[in-house]
Amino acid sequence: MNASRLMSAAVALTVTLGLAGCGSGGGGGTLPAGTSAVTPVRPVGVQDPAEVPDGANAGPASCDPRASLRPAATQPRPGQMPAGSTMAQILHRGRLIVGVDQNSYRFGFRDPLTGELTGFDVDVAREVARAIFGDPSKIQFRATNSASRIPSLQDGTVDIVVQTMTMNCERWQKVNFSTEYFTAGQRILVRRGSPVRGIADLGGQKVCSAIGSTSIRNVAAAPAKPLPVGVPDWTDCLVMLQQNQVAAVSTDDSILAGLAAQDPNAVVVGPRFSDEPYGIGINREATDLVRFVNGVLAQLRADGTWTRLYTRWLTALGPAPQPPTARYRD
Amino acid sequence: MLRRVVPVTATLVPPPVTDVRPSRLAGLRGRFVGGLRDTPRRLAAVLAGLVALGFVVGVVGFTGVRQRADLIDGVTSRSGALVVAAQNLYRALSDADATAASAFLSGGVEPAAQRDRYQNGVAEAAAALAVIAAGRSGDGARDGAVGVIAAELPVYTGLIETARAYNRQGLPVGAAYLREASGLMRQRMLPAAQQLYQSVTAELDQARGGGAGFPWIAVLLGLVTIAALVRMQMWLTRRTNRVFNIGLVGATAAAVVLVGWLGVSAVVIGTRLDASDRDGSAQVDRLVQARVAALQARADESLTLVARGAGGDFDKDYTAVMTRLIGPDGHGGLLRDAAERAADEPTRAAADRAAGRARDWLAAHQKLRQLDDGGQYTEAVTAAVGSDPGATTSIFNQLDDTLASAITRNSDRFEFDARSARRGLSGMDLGVVVLTGLIVIGSAAGIQRRIAEYR
Repeated sequence: MNASRLMSAAVALTVTLGLAGCGSGGGGGTLPAGTSAVTPVRPVGVQDPAEVPDGANAGPASCDPRASLRPAATQPRPGQMPAGSTMAQILHRGRLIVGVDQNSYRFGFRDPLTGELTGFDVDVAREVARAIFGDPSKIQFRATNSASRIPSLQDGTVDIVVQTMTMNCERWQKVNFSTEYFTAGQRILVRRGSPVRGIADLGGQKVCSAIGSTSIRNVAAAPAKPLPVGVPDWTDCLVMLQQNQVAAVSTDDSILAGLAAQDPNAVVVGPRFSDEPYGIGINREATDLVRFVNGVLAQLRADGTWTRLYTRWLTALGPAPQPPTARYRD
Repeated sequence: MLRRVVPVTATLVPPPVTDVRPSRLAGLRGRFVGGLRDTPRRLAAVLAGLVALGFVVGVVGFTGVRQRADLIDGVTSRSGALVVAAQNLYRALSDADATAASAFLSGGVEPAAQRDRYQNGVAEAAAALAVIAAGRSGDGARDGAVGVIAAELPVYTGLIETARAYNRQGLPVGAAYLREASGLMRQRMLPAAQQLYQSVTAELDQARGGGAGFPWIAVLLGLVTIAALVRMQMWLTRRTNRVFNIGLVGATAAAVVLVGWLGVSAVVIGTRLDASDRDGSAQVDRLVQARVAALQARADESLTLVARGAGGDFDKDYTAVMTRLIGPDGHGGLLRDAAERAADEPTRAAADRAAGRARDWLAAHQKLRQLDDGGQYTEAVTAAVGSDPGATTSIFNQLDDTLASAITRNSDRFEFDARSARRGLSGMDLGVVVLTGLIVIGSAAGIQRRIAEYR
C-alpha cells in the first residue's frame, strides 16, 4: 500500500465515522403522551364526595329556631346609640361591617356590569346601617360563603351576616339570630328534560350544594342516598350542572330561583322538603345588637319596606307574600 | 537488539565481494540477509502502527469536533430556542391569568387594552407551545407537561369566554367560570409550564457542559502519537546516522499542531460558553423568574379584590411573592440578585429601576389594602385598575416593561456568546482531517524511504 492510497483511505474512513457520530438525535413520529386522558376541569375547592359533618340540625329538642330576642320598647334614633352598646361601637367606627354573599343571584351578588354588591340581603343590610347612622351607605361588605359565615361572626370579622342563613338550633349554640326575615324551603334544580322530579329520584347520583350549608346536610341525610358534592359558592353548583358534572343542585328554592334565572336550560322541580327560616346572624355576645336589629326588622315589616324590597328583587318567586311574623322569646 | 547482531555501519552498505570461503560466507550472509530482511519488516510494522495511531487520532478528534459543534449548535439553536419558548410560555400564561383577573375587576365589558393583553398572552402561549412541541426530546415528563398545556389551553380560553358572556349579561355565574379558569391555570397549567421551563433549562446546561468539555481522549491519543513518532526518529537516527527524516518530522509537527489546536480551542470555547451562561442565560433566568413573580403578584392583588374580604390567602401570597422579588426590606430578592450579577451597566440599571418600581408598587398596594380593609372597596378597585398613573396597573406595567426589555437584552448577549463559542470550532473539522492526513502521509513517506533502501 503506498502512501497516497493510505491517506485517502484514512480520510474516507475518518469522514464516514465523523458523519456517523453526529447523525443521532431527532424525534420519532409518535404523539406526546398525556394528550388523550384529560381530567375534567372543576371548580376550585370542590369536595367530591363532600365531607358532611354528622348530626344534621342537632341541638336542644326544646329549641324554637325562629324565636329571637324582643326589641327594646323604644328603638334608639339613628346617630344616637346608647353609650357602651355594640351599636355605639359601630357608630364610632363609622361603618357597619356586613358579611354578604356575592354569588347568590337576587339575594347577594356582585353585579358584573357595575362591580357593586346588590340584592335583597344587601338591601336589608343597608336598612340596618340606615338605622344606626341615618345613612345606608355607611357600610362595608365582606364577601363570605356558606362555610365562613359562623367563623366570621365568632371572630368579629363582621358585625352581622345577611346571607340566606338558616336559623337552626345547632347554629343558635354558636351565634345569635335576628327574627325571621324570609322563609325558604329546599328543592331541586335539574337540567331541562331531566326525569328527576324530587330528591327521591336522585339515589346514587351526584347532587351539588355549598360546603357548610344546611342544604348539604339535608342531601346527605336524604333516604334515597344521593352523593353530595360540596363547592364554596352556589354559582359553582350551576357551573357543575352546566358541565354535566352533577345531576342536580339542591338548596333553598330562593337560591335555586336565582340560579335558574341565569340559565334557561335549568329548572326547579319537586316539592319543598325542608323548612328554612332566614335570620340575620349576629355575634353570640352582642345581644343588644340582636334586639336592635329585631327593632329594625319590625319597622321594615310594618312600614312596607320589606314588601318594597321583595318586589324589587324577588318577584320571580311570585308576588310578595306577607312578611314572616316575628317570634320572640324575650 | 537488531543493532547488536548486525554492525550499524554495514546496515545500508551492499555486501562487498570477497574471497571468503563459501561455507563461512554463506553463514555470514545468511545471518546478514536475515537481519536485513528483519529490519524492513520491523519498519513496516512500525509504519502500520503509526498510521493506525494517526488514523485513530484523526477519527477521535474529528468525531469530537463534530459532536461538540453539534452540542454548541444545540446550545444556540435548539436548547436556546426551547428555553426562550418555555420562558415565553410560562410568562404568557401568567400574563393571561393576571389580565383576566384584573379585567374582571374593571366591571362591565373589560377595557380594550386588557382584552388585547389577554389575547396576546394566549396567542404567545400557543406559539411558544408549538415551538416546544416541535423540539420534543422523548423525555416523558416534558412531553406530559406539553400535553397538559396543549389540552388545557383551549379549555381555559373556553371558560374565560363563557365568563365574559355571562358578565356581559350581568349574571354572577360568570365570576364562577372565572374562578374555575383561574384555578385550572394555577393548579394545572402554570405548574406544567414551570416544569417545562426547568426541563429545557437543564437540557441547555447539559448541552453547554458537553460543548465545553475538554477533549481528553483525542489529546491523549495525540500525545501518544507524538511520543511514538519521536521515539521512532530517535531509533532511526541511531540506526542510520541520519539526524532528520523529513517525513517523520513533518508528521510530528502536524501531530503537535493538532494536539495544541484541540487543547487551546477547548479552553477558549469553554470560557465563551461559561460567559454565555454567566452573563446570558443565568441572568435571563433571574430576570424571567422576577417577571413571572411580578405577574403572579399582580394576579394575587386582583384576586384579593375579586374575593372581596375572603381573599386573605391571595394577599398572603402577594406578600410572599413580593418578598421573593425585592426581599423583606425592599432591597434584596431576585431583583437585587439580578442587579449584582448583571454583566453590563444597562442591565444593572434596569434591575435597579425594576426594584424601585416594585417598591412603589408595594407602597401603593399597602394603601390599596388600607382602603379595602377600611371599607372603601370601590376606591380600592380604582387604585388597582384605574387609569390614574398612581394606580397599581400603571406601576406594574412599568415594572413589567422594564424586565421585558432587560430579558431581551440578555437573551441577545447569550446568543452572541454562544455563537462566538461556535466560531472557535469553525474550520476545525477540516483542519483535523488535513493534519491527520499529514501525520499519516509523513509517517508513511518517511518510513517508506527507509524500507526502500533495503530493496
